[in-house]
Amino acid sequence: MRVNLVKDPYNIVITGVGGQGNVMASRVLSNMLVRKGFKVTIGETFGMSQRGGSVMSHIRVSSASVWSPQIPKGAADLIVALEPIEAIRVLAGYGNPSVKVVVNLRPIYPVGVITGEEEYPSAETIRATVTALAAEARFLAATEEAIRLGNPILGNIIMIGAVAGLGVLPIDREIFERVIRDGMPAARVEGNLRAFAIGEASVALKSPPSQ
Amino acid sequence: MQQQRRDPTEKGDGRRGQNELEEQVLRAGLCTGCGACVNICPYQAIHHDRTVTLHACDLAQGRCYACCPQTPADLSDLRRKLYGKTDCTPELGPMKGFFIARAADEGLRQGAQHGGTVTTLVTLALREGLIDAAVLAGEGEGLLPRSVTITDAKVAAKMGKSRFVVSPTVAEFNRVCRGDAAKIGVVATPCQAVALAKMRTQPVSEVESGIEKLHLVVGLFCGWALSWQKLAALLKAKTDLAQVTGMDIPPSRYHTLEVYTRGETIRVSLDEVTPCVREACHSCDDMTAEFSDLSVGSARLPEGWETARSWNQVIVRTQRGMDLLELARRRGVLEFREPPAENLQKLKAAALGKKKAAASRSKYLNSTANVEETDGFGS
Amino acid sequence: MALDREQKEEAEVLLMGNEAIARGALEAGVRVAAGYPGTPSSEIIETLSRSSETGKLYVEWSTNEKVAMEVAAAASFAGLRSLCVMKQNGVNVASDFLLHLTGSGTRGGMVLVACDDPGALSSANEGESRHFARLMEIPLIEPADFQEAKEMTRWAFDLSEQIRNIVMVRSVTRMSHASGNVVLGTLPALEGKAEFLCDGPLSDPERGPVVSAPVMAKHRLQQEKLRKAIALFEKSPFNAYSGPEKPELLIITSSACTLYSREAVSRLHAEERAGILKLGTTWPLPPMLLKRHLRKTQKVLIVEEVLPFLEDHVKILAAEQAREIGIKTFYGKNDGALPTVGELNPDLVADAVGRILGIDPPAIPAEYGEKLRRLTEFLPKRDQTFCPGCPHRASYWGIREALQRDHRGGFVCGDIGCYAMATLSQAAGFHTAKTLHAMGSGTGIASGFGKLGPFGMTQPVLAVCGDSTFYHAAIPALINAIHQRADMTFIVLDNGGTAMTGFQSHPGLDVNAMGEAAPMVDIAAICGAMGVPVTIEDPFDLIGTRETLNRLLEEPGVKILILKQSCALSPEKKGKKRFLMRVDDTLCRGEACGCNRLCTRIFRCPGLLWNRERKRAEIDEVICAGCGFCAGICPAGAIRSEEAAKP
Ligand SMILES: Cc1cc2nc3c(=O)[nH]c(=O)nc-3n(C[C@H](O)[C@H](O)[C@H](O)COP(=O)(O)OP(=O)(O)OC[C@H]3O[C@@H](n4cnc5c(N)ncnc54)[C@H](O)[C@@H]3O)c2cc1C
Ligand code: SF4
Ligand code: SF4
Ligand code: SF4
Ligand code: SF4
Ligand code: SF4
Repeated sequence: MRVNLVKDPYNIVITGVGGQGNVMASRVLSNMLVRKGFKVTIGETFGMSQRGGSVMSHIRVSSASVWSPQIPKGAADLIVALEPIEAIRVLAGYGNPSVKVVVNLRPIYPVGVITGEEEYPSAETIRATVTALAAEARFLAATEEAIRLGNPILGNIIMIGAVAGLGVLPIDREIFERVIRDGMPAARVEGNLRAFAIGEASVALKSPPSQ
Repeated sequence: MQQQRRDPTEKGDGRRGQNELEEQVLRAGLCTGCGACVNICPYQAIHHDRTVTLHACDLAQGRCYACCPQTPADLSDLRRKLYGKTDCTPELGPMKGFFIARAADEGLRQGAQHGGTVTTLVTLALREGLIDAAVLAGEGEGLLPRSVTITDAKVAAKMGKSRFVVSPTVAEFNRVCRGDAAKIGVVATPCQAVALAKMRTQPVSEVESGIEKLHLVVGLFCGWALSWQKLAALLKAKTDLAQVTGMDIPPSRYHTLEVYTRGETIRVSLDEVTPCVREACHSCDDMTAEFSDLSVGSARLPEGWETARSWNQVIVRTQRGMDLLELARRRGVLEFREPPAENLQKLKAAALGKKKAAASRSKYLNSTANVEETDGFGS
Repeated sequence: MALDREQKEEAEVLLMGNEAIARGALEAGVRVAAGYPGTPSSEIIETLSRSSETGKLYVEWSTNEKVAMEVAAAASFAGLRSLCVMKQNGVNVASDFLLHLTGSGTRGGMVLVACDDPGALSSANEGESRHFARLMEIPLIEPADFQEAKEMTRWAFDLSEQIRNIVMVRSVTRMSHASGNVVLGTLPALEGKAEFLCDGPLSDPERGPVVSAPVMAKHRLQQEKLRKAIALFEKSPFNAYSGPEKPELLIITSSACTLYSREAVSRLHAEERAGILKLGTTWPLPPMLLKRHLRKTQKVLIVEEVLPFLEDHVKILAAEQAREIGIKTFYGKNDGALPTVGELNPDLVADAVGRILGIDPPAIPAEYGEKLRRLTEFLPKRDQTFCPGCPHRASYWGIREALQRDHRGGFVCGDIGCYAMATLSQAAGFHTAKTLHAMGSGTGIASGFGKLGPFGMTQPVLAVCGDSTFYHAAIPALINAIHQRADMTFIVLDNGGTAMTGFQSHPGLDVNAMGEAAPMVDIAAICGAMGVPVTIEDPFDLIGTRETLNRLLEEPGVKILILKQSCALSPEKKGKKRFLMRVDDTLCRGEACGCNRLCTRIFRCPGLLWNRERKRAEIDEVICAGCGFCAGICPAGAIRSEEAAKP
C-alpha cells in the first residue's frame, strides 16, 4: 500500500564526512522507501569517502519514474546532515526557501581547521545560518547520543530516526525494523532500533521553531 | 664599536625566525654546524655535519635565529653581561690570566690532542662534582663527528683528541639539558661558545630552555673546521678511514695537516686541506673561544714543536675558570711552566689575523669598523 | 544481500548500478569473472565473489586488467560465459590483448564491462573507454538506468555469442555508484562443461586454434560480425525515443546522460518541444534508426560524457544521409553548448536545452539566493587527506625527513593508490611526491630519472608503489631500472591490501577473491630474486625508517625498501585502537617557539586538533585511530600513548 508523496520526486540529500556511515544511512532510508513501493534513485559520491572528504548522497523518491542520480541545484526538499558545516555546504548548492534540514551538531574538523589555517564556525553561527536558510531546521546531538549507546557510528541511524519523526516521508519504526533485520547481523539489530527510537523521539519532542 | 655584527637588511624590530635563519645563514653557506638551533624544536636537524630544516616554521621570532652564532648580535653587550669588569683585550677577549699547562698524568697526555689540559679539567670537574655531565665530541663511523654526554670521570678521561670536523655539541647540550643532569659542562669551539652565550642572554621562548644548567664552558682555540664530506673524500683517496687515529695542524710554517693512522703519519699539504674548510669558518672572527670560562689551545715553546705539542696555552676568562685551574694545580693534576715572554703577543697577532680575514669576508660585519682602531673593552 | 541465488525472482529491490551489472551477469549464467579493482568498477567483482560459493562460478582479482581479460578469454575459448571488469584506464592496460582478441574472436559469450569516471571523481584522468570500441571494432552498449544495467549486461552475453566476439558494456560513475529499483529475473542452472576445442584447422573459428591470423581473413570476419551487430542494433529495445512526433529539438543521448536529459526537459517544461532519442547501442550506430529520428527535426543536441564520441558518429551518418534527411544544426560538444571536460548533470543539460529553445531554467528566488550566498561564504573547505592512523602519513613523514636531511633536492615519483594523495594534496605528502601518472609509472619514470646523472642531475630519485600496484605494473619497470643500473630508491608502501578501492585481495595475501586460501607471492622474495637486497622497515618506526632511507639514498644503483604496516581501515585494525592517546597539557608547547604546533600544523593527522581557546593540542577520541605514531614526533613528549586493553 502506498501513500502519496508531498512532492514527486521528493529530493533528499544526506551529507557528512567519510567514515560517518553516510552510505549506510542512505541505503537504509532508501530500502525503507522501496519496500513502501516507491522508485528510488540514490546518487553517491564516495570514491574517496573514507579519506576525510565531504560525502553526499542524493536520494530521489518518486511514485512513478527513475530520476537522475544528481539533484538539480536549489532543488533539495530535505537535507540530512551528519556533520554541521556539511549542512551549510549542501544548503549553498541545493537550498531553497522550502527546504527542511536535520543537523547532527557534532563537528568533524577539516584539515584546514586542524592546521589553524581556517576557522570552524561556532555552534551559534551554524544554528543561525541553517535556521535562516531552512523552512524547518532541527538540531540533534546524534553523535553524543550514539556514544551513550556505545558506538558513535550509530549517529547515522539516529538521524534516520529523526527523518521518520519529521513525518514528511511515509516511513516508520516498523518498516525500519524489517529493513534492519534483513540487512544486519541479529546482534546489531537492538542497538539500531534504539538509535532509531532516540532520533524519532528527539524530533517529536520539540515543536518546530518556525510554523 | 667594532664587535657589533649588524645585519644590513635589519628592519629594526630584531624579530627573526627560521625563515631568516635559512636565508641569512643556512642558504648563505654561513652555518658553522654548532647545533644551537637543533633539538630545541622539531624543525632543524643535523645530518652528518650539515644542519638542515625538516619542515617550515612560520614563527616571526625564534630561538633558532636568536642563538645562532652567525646571526647579528651586539657582542660587546653580551660580553658586558657575561664578564662584567674583567679585563678585555681586543684580540683575545676577556682575560684573567694566561698559562702554559699540561696534564700531569702521562697516560692521559698520550690519549690527548696536545697537553691533555682540556681532558684533565673536564675529568676533574666531574670528579669534584662541579659538573655532573660533560658534553664532549666523540667520533662516529668514517670520521663523522658525534657529540656525547659523559657523566663518569673515568670515561671522560678517555675522550681526548680533537676532531677537525665540526661536532653538533650545542645540539647535544640542548638535548641533555632537558634531562636529569643539573650541572653541565661543555667543551666548545668558539662558535659553539658564542651560541651558548647567546642562549644565556637571550631567552626568547616561553618554553624552558635549560640553559641555567650550563655550569662550565671550556673553549678550544679554533682556526677553522673542515667539511666532513670534503675531508672524507680527500682522505679516502689517501688511506682507509677506519685506520685514522687522529689529526693535528702543526704551526703554520709546516703548512700541513698531519693524519695519524695505525701504520704511519700522512702529511697533507694545507693547499689540499684549505678547500675543505667550512664556508662559515672563513667569516668567523673568534680564534680563542672568547665566550668561555677558560680556553685552551696548542702551545708555542722555544724548544720547538716536538716539545710544544705536549703542552697547552690557556686563557682564563672567568672566576669560575680560574677556580677550576687553581683546583687542578692544588690537586696536582695539571703541571705548569712559565709562558715565554713573547707568546701572548704572538697569540694576539694570530687572533687578530683571523679577525682581519673574517672582516674582509663577512658580509655581516660592519664594514666601516676597523679592528685595529679600537681601545678594547672594560678598561 | 539482494543477489543471493535464493533471492525471489521478480522481486523489486534496490541495487547499485554495479550490483545490477553483476546480477545481469549472473542471470546470463556467467561462469568466470575476473577484474582488477578500480573505482567505480570494483563492486561488480565483489558482488560476484559473494555469489561464488556454489562452486559453479569462478571469480578472481587478477594482477592487472590485461591478465583479467586473458583469464576471462580462456573461459570463453572453453565455451563458458565470462566477464572481465575494469575502470576506464584499465582498458588501456588490457588493450594490447584486446586488439588480438577481437581478431581471434570468442566462443562462449564474453563481456567487457568498463566503468568510466567522467569528472575524475576518483581517478587521475577522465579518459574514456568508448573510443576503444571503435578502435577495436567491437560492439559497445551503454545502460541508462539500473534495470537496464542488469538487462543489457545479460543481453551482452547473447550478443557476444551471436557475433562470436567480445562485447563492451560501458558504465560511468553516476551509473555504477548510483542505486535504484531493479526487478530481478531468473537465474539459470549452470551446467556447461569447459572444453577447449582446438583440433580443427586454423580457418575454423569453432574448432580451430584461437588466433588472430590469418590477419586479413580474421579482420574481414570481424567486420562481418560488426555488421551483424548493426542489424541487431536496428531492432534493439535499448534504443528508444520519447517525445513529440515533430519535436523542435531532438536530443540524442546515452548512459547516465539520458537521466540528465529527461530531468532537463522536465525542469524546463519542454516536453512538448523536445524529444529524446536514448541510445543503448552506441557503437556501431544503427543508421536506419538514426535516419528515422533525424528526419523528425532540424535541430539536434547530443548529450554525452566526456568527448564528442556519439556526436562525431551521428554527424557522419547525418552527412551520409543528408540528401534524405536534410541539413541539420548540431549542438553538443563541438559548438560549446556542453563542456568537453568534466561530468554533466541535469543543470548543465537544462542550461544547454534552455539556451537552444529560449527557455530560462527555474531559479530560486533572487532574495533567497542572495541570502544563501552571503551566509554560506565562510565555509572552511574539506580537503582530502590520509585516514587517521594511515601508515602512508608516517611513510611520507619519514621520507620527508630523510630527503631534507639528504639535502640534494630529492623527490618522489608517485603512483596510483591512496598514497597518490601525496601528489594531489601537498599537505598529505609533506611536499615530497612530484609526479603521478599510470599504475607502475612512478617506477618507470624513476628508472629514467635515475639515468640522468651523467647529464648533471644530482637529485636522488625515489619511487613509491603500493603492494597491489607492485604486482600490477611496477615489476617490469623495476627490472628495467635494475638492469639499466638506474640510480633510484624503490619504496613499496605495503599496507596489506588494495586499500584505496576497498580492500580487495591481491597476490601478496593468503586469501583470494572468493575467500579461499591462496599462496602468497612475497614482494621481498621477488625483489630479492632480482638480485637487489631488500630492506624492510615499519613506517611507524620513524627513526629506523629515516636512517635506512638516508643510508639507501647515498648508495648507487637500485635500492629497495619495503615499508610494511597495514592500512588503518584493514579488517584487523578498523575500529580497534592499539593505543589510547592523550595530550598532556602541562607539557604541550603549543604555538610557542620550541614546537609551533608541529602535530596540527605540519603532521595533520585528523585525530589531532588544535584548541584555539586553550592553545593546546588535543586528541579527538572519536577520530583518532590509536596508531600511536604522533607520540614519537612531539618534541615535548606531550602526546602520551598508553597500550589499549585487548578486547
Ligand atoms: C676544529 C678544531 C680546530 C682547532 N684549531 C686550533 C688552532 O687553530 N689552534 C690551536 O691552538 N688549537 C686549535 N684547536 C684546539 C686543539 O686541537 C686542542 O683541542 C687543544 O689544544 C686542547 O688540547 P688538549 O690536549 O687539551 O685536548 P684533549 O684533552 O685531547 O681534549 C680535546 C677536547 O676537545 C673536544 N673536541 C674535539 N673535537 C671537537 C670538536 N670538533 N668540537 C668541539 N669539541 C671538540 C673533545 O671533546 C675533548 O674534550 C682546534 C680544535 C678543533 C676541534
Ligand atoms: S620553533 Fe622556534 S627555534 Fe624552532 S624553527 Fe621555529 S622559531 Fe626557530
Ligand atoms: S650556525 Fe649553529 S645555530 Fe646557526 S644555523 Fe648552523 S647549526 Fe644552526
Ligand atoms: S673557525 Fe669558527 S666557525 Fe669554524 S669551527 Fe672554529 S669556531 Fe666554529
Ligand atoms: S595516534 Fe596520533 S597519528 Fe595515530 S591516529 Fe591517533 S592522532 Fe593520528
Ligand atoms: S607536537 Fe606536542 S608540543 Fe607540539 S603542539 Fe603537538 S602536542 Fe603540543
